[in-house]
Amino acid sequence: MDNDQDVKLSTNIRSLAELATPTDRVCVLNILGNESRTVTPISHSYSGGNVVFGTAPGKQGKVLETPLGNVPVYDNVREGLDAGHAFNVGVVYLPPSAVRDGVIELVRVNPECKKIIILTEKVPVHDSRIIRSRARLRKVDVFGANCLGIADAWNHIRIGGALGGDKPEETLKKGSVAIYSNSGNFTTTIASYLMAAGWGTTTSISSGKDVYIHFAPVEFTYALDNDARSKAAVMYIEPGGYYEQNLKLNKPLVACVVGRWKSKLTRAVGHAGAMGGSGDNAEAKEKWFQDLLQVDGIYTPENPICTTRGALVTNIAHIPEALTAVMKLHGVEPDFAPQGDLTLKPWFGNTQGLPVPPELDLPLVDPIQPYKDQIAELSKQVGAIFPREAMKDRSGSSLMDPKTQVTKVSGVSVLDAAGYPLESNYCLALLHEHNDANDNALLNTAIACDVNLHGNPLIDLVDTVRAAGNSPNTVLSTACAAIGPNTINNARIAVDTFMELFGHSGLMQGDHSDFNIANIETSPEQIKHLVTDTPDPKAEAMLAGLAARGAKSVFVDYLKSLGQHPTADAVLAAITTSIAWNALMRKKITRTTARNLPWYARLMSVIIGAAVGSDKHQKDSFCGVANIDLINKWSATEIAYLALLGETPTPEKLFPFQVLLGLIISNGPGTISAQGAKGAVSADGPETPERVQINKAMIGFMTHTGYSHGGNGYEGIQFLIERFANTDLQDAGKANHGIDLATMSKEYALAFGAEKKARKSVGDAVRNIPGINHPIFKGQLVNKDPREVYLSELFAKRGEFNIFHAFYSSLVQALYDNGITANVFCVNIDAVIAALLLKLLWPRYRSGDFSEAALESAAFTAFLFGRTVGCAGEIDDHTNRGRNMDTRTAASKCSFVS
Amino acid sequence: MNISGMLYGSKLLDIVEFPRTEVLGPESSNQQIKELIARHGEVFIKPIFLGGIGKKGKAGLVGRAKDLKTALKEKERLYFVEHKVGNNIAKANGVTFEAAIPAEHEIYLSLTDSTRYRAPTMMMTHVGGVDIEALPKDQIAEIPFDPTTGLKSFVITNALADLKAPREIISPLAQNLPKLWDLFHHYGMTTLELNPIRMSQVKPGSLTPLACDFKCGFDRDDPRVRRLNLPSDLFAVDYSDFEQEINQLRTYQGQSDVSVINPNGTILAPTFGGGANSLVTEFLGDDAIISSDFGGNPPYQKMREVMRICLKHWLKQTNVLFIIGGKANNTDIFVTFRAMADALREYFSNHGPVPIYVVIGRGGPNLSRGLLTFKDVLEQLGLPYRIFAFDSAMTDVVRYAQAADKWMKAGGREMLAKQLGIAA
Repeated sequence: MDNDQDVKLSTNIRSLAELATPTDRVCVLNILGNESRTVTPISHSYSGGNVVFGTAPGKQGKVLETPLGNVPVYDNVREGLDAGHAFNVGVVYLPPSAVRDGVIELVRVNPECKKIIILTEKVPVHDSRIIRSRARLRKVDVFGANCLGIADAWNHIRIGGALGGDKPEETLKKGSVAIYSNSGNFTTTIASYLMAAGWGTTTSISSGKDVYIHFAPVEFTYALDNDARSKAAVMYIEPGGYYEQNLKLNKPLVACVVGRWKSKLTRAVGHAGAMGGSGDNAEAKEKWFQDLLQVDGIYTPENPICTTRGALVTNIAHIPEALTAVMKLHGVEPDFAPQGDLTLKPWFGNTQGLPVPPELDLPLVDPIQPYKDQIAELSKQVGAIFPREAMKDRSGSSLMDPKTQVTKVSGVSVLDAAGYPLESNYCLALLHEHNDANDNALLNTAIACDVNLHGNPLIDLVDTVRAAGNSPNTVLSTACAAIGPNTINNARIAVDTFMELFGHSGLMQGDHSDFNIANIETSPEQIKHLVTDTPDPKAEAMLAGLAARGAKSVFVDYLKSLGQHPTADAVLAAITTSIAWNALMRKKITRTTARNLPWYARLMSVIIGAAVGSDKHQKDSFCGVANIDLINKWSATEIAYLALLGETPTPEKLFPFQVLLGLIISNGPGTISAQGAKGAVSADGPETPERVQINKAMIGFMTHTGYSHGGNGYEGIQFLIERFANTDLQDAGKANHGIDLATMSKEYALAFGAEKKARKSVGDAVRNIPGINHPIFKGQLVNKDPREVYLSELFAKRGEFNIFHAFYSSLVQALYDNGITANVFCVNIDAVIAALLLKLLWPRYRSGDFSEAALESAAFTAFLFGRTVGCAGEIDDHTNRGRNMDTRTAASKCSFVS
Repeated sequence: MNISGMLYGSKLLDIVEFPRTEVLGPESSNQQIKELIARHGEVFIKPIFLGGIGKKGKAGLVGRAKDLKTALKEKERLYFVEHKVGNNIAKANGVTFEAAIPAEHEIYLSLTDSTRYRAPTMMMTHVGGVDIEALPKDQIAEIPFDPTTGLKSFVITNALADLKAPREIISPLAQNLPKLWDLFHHYGMTTLELNPIRMSQVKPGSLTPLACDFKCGFDRDDPRVRRLNLPSDLFAVDYSDFEQEINQLRTYQGQSDVSVINPNGTILAPTFGGGANSLVTEFLGDDAIISSDFGGNPPYQKMREVMRICLKHWLKQTNVLFIIGGKANNTDIFVTFRAMADALREYFSNHGPVPIYVVIGRGGPNLSRGLLTFKDVLEQLGLPYRIFAFDSAMTDVVRYAQAADKWMKAGGREMLAKQLGIAA
């Protein structure tokens, strides 16, 4: 241990008052780094503007903005000095590998630099050795590494790190106690504990706890003795190192030594130097301080051992009391009246109705100021806020498991989603949870009222686009384009109004029929967004539909209570807000999602409606079904079936259709359709979410489907038609169909084998059989696509038969039995989809109602219906979480192909 | 990150051409062992322990053999032997065969960074081969030196002169020991100990110092260690699967230090700050599953990943999830709490609910927003909880967490599980 003489030689600091002074001028290395960017502006303004410049290689000319004006940035220290800045304190925020060189730069380039504070953690011991040697040679005082710097409550100066956090004046109250702490966090925590006993601080030092501590306890106690302001000190000490051995000081001290238990650990956690050997463990340090303070034990409230020299504690909560006891022996009273106390004060809590004992069921207390006001203000926030990040190829909505190839949407596997109707899955994608029957009744009414496009110029436009020979996705894109922001703004404003009115009313469920709406106070301005003077027939039809379905909605009840005529937009908003309300109140979704929900509902209506030509949109009916029936009774799934297949579904027919749509809602954020949707959001700039055009994003999804992605379901259908065209199959669902599938499979397998051989012999590529084999599910003796297995079992359980599916199963076996394939290939999910769809369409195809072109179009459109669900989830997720233009690819990752 | 023994020690010493005894590894053939015995008359058989466990000789874990039969018998005895020093238990995996070096003089030498001198420091005695702690002070030279110039010959000759060492050992040591500084300083070591170095007449008429045992510790934060291309599994013994998974996230932005305290513990305490870590570890003792420091303002992604790994390994057995730290200076409470709450929610949605009591104590920037975020998630998950801010003594918050654990063990867990509709 250095002796007194050595201390004088090793530090320039004679008194703690010299550590952080109003005349200190600071240069910050890596000033634009992540941590410095947040901390330096606060330190600078707390200290009255003591940072003269900073460095960041290659960023010369930039500035760090602070409340006291911009701090200039240079490439290096020399440039800053050449520009006329002078400094005596260097602050180092460099990454670990650059710290040593940064320190050497500071001391070599600027002989006036006398203090250096190193914030960086994980600096190699090797570099600390060199820093120590250089600093002593040049007589520079170094603080850290791995520290949080110095703060002086008397001068209002903070140099280096973030002592006192983002509001240093809250914790650094002027007083008479100096703090020296191995822990940066505890420097502030101890200061705030001391306030509870009425003690303020002079200088607070976070020493760091690496192996090398440059401004060590010996330098601290020397400077403490010479500081007239400091009447006492608190030291927080961890095991490891001999820095506290043989200390001398003439002022009272409360030493807090922790870490007895830590000796059981075999390596340091957090503080690299906090591992004691046999001679420098916590027990040894307690003994050193007992000798220094002339106490024969540890101070506790029950056994308050202290002398005029001080006290030793092992619990930081005992520091304030011990200090007061020690100072009392000197006749010194606390600096000010106690501010707060340290008793257990739960700000929040809930026992969830469990019978917990009284010691756990502590009564909640009001947070102290300014937190009480902040919390009250924040509690007014309705809905979640997600942190924004680059969302390229990432999604908070869907994820495909690369092993099973099963995608989850909002945490629900598509295999499970297949058990839910289209409207439920739409809610799942947008609200992150499946809804209930009441929500379905609400949403079905909303969708049903907008599918009939009779009288809407949109349907003529759609006809024109379809007649031009475009694929179904292009046709539906046209329909989406017509549902621009202006068409939905009134509904969005109505949602905003509902959120304003009910956000803090205590309402948790949108279908809470007993909720007292009489207490909702509405201004004339707000009412204007919800009702009109004259009846709106569409609104009335919707209200009638809701009544017919028995759908409950607080917001609809509220609209009716206004005594005027609700607008159709307000009814739509009331419907979607009811559905969203619980998720919104539980902060599961954002306000943005809630206010876009009417848009998503209308887009779904129009996508279904525009799937058929204008001839099916009559004044009073859609595809031959009366509007009133659709609005009052039909589900979105049933209407989608009607549009696609032109007939009213029976429950037996609806189930496989629902399964089909559920299966294809998503294949994860990597699929082209999702990428199209995400790219469209990214290009609109999700950081201003109100400008994101949901309909345009839907077009992004649509344009990123095509004959290969989405339309390829038809390949399987075509294959099956070729196989079954010459049979007399009438009903694909009959188990006793009378067709010899085994022979049919064998014949095809042999023919395929011969063709394969012939093609191979002339070097032609061998075509694959659609719906068979999979790049992941292969290589076993018998291969299975788990998705197909799941669905086979599901249908078997329901006693449903599908001859096309059965043929596929028979075919893979025949291919193997006849030596065409090396093992039994799997029947993949595409085969299941083709089999499902063809089974539905077969009667109409057989009767000549449906051409092959219509079949292809229907297959593609079914895909679009299902995928609209998953892509809506992606659009909403990217709008809420993404950054502007975050889906672009860096130029360095792009390549040129000649 | 420690290495002990000559299997790897010999390779490291060869880098700086420091003379050493001849060593054969566990894969050596009988013929090679036989030849080694023939050359040196005797071999030591030492078990190989990964990591830094010492005191093998005292524990009777060093065999001696003058013939192949004895050597193989000792090999069989020591190959998988277990060794306990303090709390450390190590299991051998292999043996080395090391040539016995007859010598009159045994030297002890260590290099480390001394906190007494705040400089690299050499400790040496020419009365080596024994526990250094057992020697009187006047037989040990403890000499700090300047790292910018390194360990120079004159430092060694001065030290040996002070120790009144025999003349014949001074020159060979002054020639060879400075080489060790290169090994110590340029490859990220924090300690290096050779005990004993035997002074052998390799060439007639002069002595050569031959290192006969080796110990060193590495600085996990020093990239220079990678220059040695040591096999990555060499240090794996130090870490559990959980620790290794967390260590992969180790960057300088945000701490991610963990150590498993009690794999059967019931309080999972993600802790923020080195100080809080010491305090919480102290008070929780064996109730804690892990000791951790996740402070240092980690970004959202890192914090979420750290929490995800913690939950994956430990949540099932946890009674109390205890998130604790002091009043943060720079760690953003909103960012870190949001990340942890999201990880908890994700765990529940992927694995189903777990009956846990949640206790939180924290202060710092963006506190209100951070606490409210966590509160909302706990309400959604239907978990009992209490959230304390920085104006409650941290030790009392720890005691509250322990009381919650006690209640959970005394039937609370079953009641909560029933309420959540799951098995306890």
